[in-house]
Amino acid sequence: MIFKLDNKFDECFTVSNEMYTGFIQIFKDKNPLHTNEQFAIDNGFKGMVMHGNILTGFLSYFIGECLPVKNVIIHSQEIQFKNAVYLNDELQFHATVTGIYDSVNAVEFRYDFKNREEKIVAKGKFQIGLLQ
Amino acid sequence: MERNVIMKQVNDIFIDILDNEEIVIGETTQASDVEDWDSLTHIQLVVAIEKHFKIRFTSKEIQSWNNVGEMVNCIQKKGI
Repeated sequence: MIFKLDNKFDECFTVSNEMYTGFIQIFKDKNPLHTNEQFAIDNGFKGMVMHGNILTGFLSYFIGECLPVKNVIIHSQEIQFKNAVYLNDELQFHATVTGIYDSVNAVEFRYDFKNREEKIVAKGKFQIGLLQ
Repeated sequence: MERNVIMKQVNDIFIDILDNEEIVIGETTQASDVEDWDSLTHIQLVVAIEKHFKIRFTSKEIQSWNNVGEMVNCIQKKGI
């Protein structure tokens, strides 16, 4: 098993305009919270809120491209959104191995995304399988 | 732990993982008897059972099981 309990991984992601507009173009989620500045402000936010699932895209990138092995498949993932993410926010991503299941070649991670103010904007866990 | 208690707890894990309140497993239950018990679900079941009972199986042990009863035998052998 290449992973060990408590292994830690860090990445940095920025929510770019390209991601934001690309997400809207592909998935058609034009909810005013994401597209109308005044609507977002009237509802208590600093500005247009980025789609939470852009962060799951970062998660996908981390699992598929940043782990030390490529023979991985996602078994499950959970995400809780804690604070709003805005355009051009820089997010620090931290993931820790919290479970190793050698019998089925599965590894569980817990992760969080923090903004520049060190606030957790999202957190959760995911489980991957190592393909043989 | 009494075998019937382990079986009840394993049943609850099956209900949770398979998201089916109607599942009732028994000693001779096999994967083919339970709708949606496929290879990916099997991994989730094993992980959930390992977590719940705080045990670890080997891949050899898992491959030796032919039914739920043999899975429970294996849990009991871990001192549960």
